[in-house]
Amino acid sequence: MTRLQDIAEKVETAVDTYGNMLFRICLVMLGNERDAEDVVQDTMLKLLQKAPAFESPEHQKAWLIRTASNRCKDIKRFQFRHPQIGMTELQEYTANPEDSGILEALMGIPEKFRIVLILYHVEGYHTYEIGKMLGKSASAIKMRLQKGHKLLKEKYRKEFL
Amino acid sequence: MDHNPLKKSVESIAMPEAMKIRIIRQTISNASKSEKYRNTVSWQKPAITAAILLLCFFIAIPIGVTASETIYGLMYFVSPEIAQFFHPVQKSDIDNGIKMEVVSSYIHGDTAEIYITMQDLTGDRIDETIDLYDSYAILAPFDSSAHCERAGYDKNTKTATFFITIQNMNGRDLKSILGDKVTFTVRQFLSRKKEYKGVKIPYDFTSVSQAGITQQVSPTGGGGLAYEDKDVLTVLVPNEPYTGFPIEGVSLTGIGFIDGKLHIQTAVEDPLNNDNHGFMYLTDKEGNRQEGEASYYFITQNGDIRVDYQEEIFSVTPEELLKYELYGEFYVSGLMTNGKWSVTFPLE
Repeated sequence: MTRLQDIAEKVETAVDTYGNMLFRICLVMLGNERDAEDVVQDTMLKLLQKAPAFESPEHQKAWLIRTASNRCKDIKRFQFRHPQIGMTELQEYTANPEDSGILEALMGIPEKFRIVLILYHVEGYHTYEIGKMLGKSASAIKMRLQKGHKLLKEKYRKEFL
Repeated sequence: MDHNPLKKSVESIAMPEAMKIRIIRQTISNASKSEKYRNTVSWQKPAITAAILLLCFFIAIPIGVTASETIYGLMYFVSPEIAQFFHPVQKSDIDNGIKMEVVSSYIHGDTAEIYITMQDLTGDRIDETIDLYDSYAILAPFDSSAHCERAGYDKNTKTATFFITIQNMNGRDLKSILGDKVTFTVRQFLSRKKEYKGVKIPYDFTSVSQAGITQQVSPTGGGGLAYEDKDVLTVLVPNEPYTGFPIEGVSLTGIGFIDGKLHIQTAVEDPLNNDNHGFMYLTDKEGNRQEGEASYYFITQNGDIRVDYQEEIFSVTPEELLKYELYGEFYVSGLMTNGKWSVTFPLE
């Protein structure tokens, strides 16, 4: 196998395996599909260039999430130039648009709570693992989780129940 | 508040296929330009592979133009330097209304790279799910290992493109045998594959036997976190297929407890001609999913009829089981097409 074939195979495998997961995290964090696409692409490029030695697929997944979420934070710093996606557009990416009420509520709470809620409830990480990924203590993550639950509950009930 | 709707909703977000393709293309392109790879990659041969793979993925073939003409023409359009390395072959064979053509080949070092197309001239038997699986053969005048992958599909001409790599096992440069002939043969292929995800199996768990009738078999393989390599395995004796099973091509032949673990058995008849497969999982009312801890495969052969069984094992008690419903994910092939397509061409 040639080296470029090797690159192509690595990229395809990584995008097939982790593309959807990274895209939804980035889309929910950034609320902008173009930025989300850029971050997924940047993350894949870093994976290739840095070629870290991963102990397991879980280790690789956590590295990708950390890299992508850090890049998302960088982008958020100048996001006034990047308008957030509307719910109609967001629904285009979901398989069940009729279930998008909860997604809309999620997008209505601050980003720092969104990422914690996703990593905990969607990706199934423990609070200490999320803390490691986001550079926070486990107790800080627990607090964000509690606050995030409260905000999501309020938002969802207020608008959809 | 129940947060499972959150998981369901967020997990349903999927990257659009066009975006996925853009990301793959752009990442390969950027990685290739990066300092790290610029210093190490030999550019001639991989650039060809990448460019043509990209062509096959992204460019549709106009109606009325043969696939090989277009692919070869496009190589020149994208990069004449790249295209010059590939030699046009354009030798074809037609059987059963399907044309197989060896479009071009390129020899470098100990490797031969070949593009092949398959086009249905009379029907719709070739689609984007086409799979040659293990029905292709390469006869080469040297000890070789080969790999064949689908590189693209064009709806308009019903043409699938395959990229084949043949490597000399002893590592010797193939240039010493330039002009020698290679034969590529295909005898059948699968198409119209379908995926069924999140399929609910309407099975009443109150009727599950807590002491299933068992037999000893020799497993042919398996997987899962709790999988153990065993010479002999105790499995359920297959029953008549469950009539309420919703997927054609896969049968549910047993559910019961063995040594305190739930065994769920499925069967696929004549698997060598369909490649049907799948797996089951349990889901409770809150949406919590429990996967099998291990699965094992075994085979029965009755005359010409081969049946492949899969026994999935779940760590769940009879009481816990009543909280769950049975779901599955299945992959079935709708069509097997037979023929004899064979093209012999010189390595150039």
